[in-house]
Amino acid sequence: MAPTLPSGDQASDQDNWDNGRLARKRQLLTEIVLRNRLTALVVDGDTTCRVLEQLLLRSYEVQTQGVDNGRDAVALIASGVKFNLIIIDMILPVLNGLEATRQIRDMGVHCKMLGVTACSGESERQAFLAAGVDVFIEKPLDPEHLVPILRELDGQ
Amino acid sequence: MDRNRLHNQVASMRRSLFDQLEELQDDTNPNFVQEVVTLFYNDSTRLIQNIEQALNSRPIDFCKLDDYMHQFKGSSSSIGAKKVTNECTAFREYCNAENAEGCIRSFQQVKQEHAILKRKLEVYLQTVRQASQTA
Repeated sequence: MAPTLPSGDQASDQDNWDNGRLARKRQLLTEIVLRNRLTALVVDGDTTCRVLEQLLLRSYEVQTQGVDNGRDAVALIASGVKFNLIIIDMILPVLNGLEATRQIRDMGVHCKMLGVTACSGESERQAFLAAGVDVFIEKPLDPEHLVPILRELDGQ
Repeated sequence: MDRNRLHNQVASMRRSLFDQLEELQDDTNPNFVQEVVTLFYNDSTRLIQNIEQALNSRPIDFCKLDDYMHQFKGSSSSIGAKKVTNECTAFREYCNAENAEGCIRSFQQVKQEHAILKRKLEVYLQTVRQASQTA
């Protein structure tokens, strides 16, 4: 039986509580062990999202760095820092995610790039893929999407 | 309320509110959920105010509105606030159509769902504080 809040407002939480999905998530979370030390850059202007995405990556022992705008992301890559994975939002301060992605790809960076964004339209998806991300993921970034990608990067 | 009951209550509230966040909290991040909830609570309140101001300005800057709502939708979805996220999606559709009346109506729904969520977060944070005081 799903736990309830003291306010007794159980019904409004039921759409976040799915026993089957939660069990599957737990299974995914515990099944992966990375053989290699992977590195990731998280580019998100929202602190909550950036913190959560970095922590999710760290829970798989991926070394992460975070920046909160597109310009700093491009500058970091241009400085020579290399990552196995870049997670980037579409709407970013200073320099938006589409342009930042194009500039990163124009530098000859071929690492896996995930466009993780609250944007959900097909035109937005196509634009982000055209800019150079490999995968388009609507937020939230979750283990179901992330684990297969980490396995691929780890050569599993 | 005794200590064990408080701690159990905190744990069950966490599970019911944030199933994925719960998975990320462990011994190395014992206060993670509380920290993220506090972060979201403060940031989302600020964003609601920014959106309100942007909706009250003339002419309405729909690009700015969309950016704010994109950010709000992203953080809401990341903590599992599905109802708030759904209302944000509806708002953004009105925003893309530059439908001011639709945005204003939809924003009332966003605020309503956010207010419900905020109350739950307040209860959660209060319960966590009580539990830590009895530890």
